[in-house]
Amino acid sequence: MSLRQRLQKRLTFTPLHALLGAVVLLAAGLLVSAYQDRIFRAQQNREIRAQGEILAASVTAALVFGDTKAVQEHVNALAINPEIEAAGVYDMQRILVASFVRKDRPALPRSTPERTATAGRGRTLVIVPVTEKDAALGTVYIRAIDEPLDRRLTRYAAIMLLAIMAAMFVAFMAATQRTLRAANAQLEARAVALAETNRLLETEMEERSKTEDALRQSQKMEVVGQLSGGLAHDFNNLLTIIQGNLHLLGQSLERDQSGQSEIQDYVAAAGEAVERASQLVRRLLAFARRQPLSPRSVNLSQLATGMEKLIAHSVGEAVHIEWRLDATWQTLCDGNQMENVILNLAINARDAMPDGGTLSIETADRSLPDGVRARGIAPGDYVELKVCDTGVGMTEEVRKRAGDPFFTTKPHGKGTGLGLSTALAFIRQSGGDLRIETEPGNGTTIVILLPRHFVTEPQETRANLVGSA
Amino acid sequence: MPPLTHTRGRIVPVALAIVLFALPARAADRSLEYAVKATFLYKFASFVEWPQSAFENESSPFNLCVVGPDPFGGRIHDAVTGQTVGRHPIVLRQLAKAEARSNCHTILVSGRPGQPAAEALEVVSGTPTLTVTDSAFGPVAGIIHLVIVNGRVSFDIDNVAAARNHLVISSKLLALARRVNTARPGKTQ
Repeated sequence: MSLRQRLQKRLTFTPLHALLGAVVLLAAGLLVSAYQDRIFRAQQNREIRAQGEILAASVTAALVFGDTKAVQEHVNALAINPEIEAAGVYDMQRILVASFVRKDRPALPRSTPERTATAGRGRTLVIVPVTEKDAALGTVYIRAIDEPLDRRLTRYAAIMLLAIMAAMFVAFMAATQRTLRAANAQLEARAVALAETNRLLETEMEERSKTEDALRQSQKMEVVGQLSGGLAHDFNNLLTIIQGNLHLLGQSLERDQSGQSEIQDYVAAAGEAVERASQLVRRLLAFARRQPLSPRSVNLSQLATGMEKLIAHSVGEAVHIEWRLDATWQTLCDGNQMENVILNLAINARDAMPDGGTLSIETADRSLPDGVRARGIAPGDYVELKVCDTGVGMTEEVRKRAGDPFFTTKPHGKGTGLGLSTALAFIRQSGGDLRIETEPGNGTTIVILLPRHFVTEPQETRANLVGSA
Repeated sequence: MPPLTHTRGRIVPVALAIVLFALPARAADRSLEYAVKATFLYKFASFVEWPQSAFENESSPFNLCVVGPDPFGGRIHDAVTGQTVGRHPIVLRQLAKAEARSNCHTILVSGRPGQPAAEALEVVSGTPTLTVTDSAFGPVAGIIHLVIVNGRVSFDIDNVAAARNHLVISSKLLALARRVNTARPGKTQ
């Protein structure tokens, strides 16, 4: 989890947080109000005491010289303060000289009250001695009503209102954030799902594209096969006619004994050409799968061993050949065709190494429990044949087209463009796979996989039978 | 403003006396008037500041002098007995004549017999002495001149004379006076 996420998680409001915040705010508001009320009341008390002291100081002379009117005027001045419900001045003889009492309020004591007197609940009592030059002259008495609770509460309503609004704001913020977070999470989940869907779609598209490519290729092959198959048949028939006529021409020449050996040589050359043409036709037919295969259980190692001399002769002395024939399993295919494939591959390898090099032919048993999905190879046991050269290799472009019929990089007249395509067709027909691994300048490896064939009848037995026959 | 309940009915003896002076003087009334005046005499001291040099120390006596016999028929003696001005005990001194060295803090000048009032005032002028005269004895006025207004004992104050005698009179007392001479002609109340 990143620092940002952790921070975000820690700073997140939950409804509980919001509630706590609101309670704290309200409590703070109450405390502030109570504190302010206390201060206000203390101040009010001080104010009334100050008024009492002012009154006491201003009535001294009037009290001493018995000017009741002047005393009354001073007392009346206090009536301006609505909180003062009663006030009075007592003289030295403890007699009330002047006073005022608001309507329906308790009267003043007849004589000077004790300084310890209390005014009762909700009232403030102030008793101040009147003195002049340390001489006690009388007493000032003021009784004030405390402000009623509802009026006090009204005064602090603003604070409480602010606190409540702040609390509500906090709650609102918390709710909003919660909603937003939920929406965000949903959106994120949707985005992830969308990305997954997109990925699947891309994979599917890729696979479809591959399949389409393969389909197109196979359709192309089909057309080419049909075309070449048809052509080859007709061509073969024509070749048969030519061959027959050449044969008749040769016989008639022999009969004539005219000793025209030159003509005989021409006939022989034409016959060879016809033979080569008919081989080409066979290949075409093989490519077009028109040639019937006669599959049998074959051990590739044994098959290859039998070709050692032929291949050595075909590739020439400039190429060094390495054999590594480790395969022991049988495989089911047409042995003659298989030999053709190996020979064709060897010749291709030779042509890729004009200045010589190493050709290695390997066979091996391969267990593929998972198969190779990308190439459509099912799980199972296979026999592998590898033909490697140290030649010029192929570009990707060439590699892709290498299996196409009539495609060749060889000089005109040297290659037919049918070697690899025929091999490919044969291997596919035999239920196997052919793969080209190559890089320009780094040689080419052809890897062929053929399914393992489980023989019910050991070959040796048959060989023995043949031997005994 | 709510109606006020005044307590005019309850009256201190002093105030009672004042109210009664509206009537023509009778023996009993005059007696009350004298008592009030005698009380005023020492009570003025509470609202007057003497220079520090006027007293030897904080508890030295406060000399209340009367030139000639007590014009208030012995009421002064009754009034001041046991009284103090701050910490200074009041001592009543009866003088035949006012003199500069009399060392009086307050002096009642009646102007009879022997020394005329004006002369007595002239003698103590410039000394820290509060001079008190009574309109009943003649028009010559000291710093405080007792008068009867609407049957009440009241007084005029000559603040110029007070300043001359180095005295400071409290504004509270000035506020109670009927008239105050504040030196500027035409401004006298």
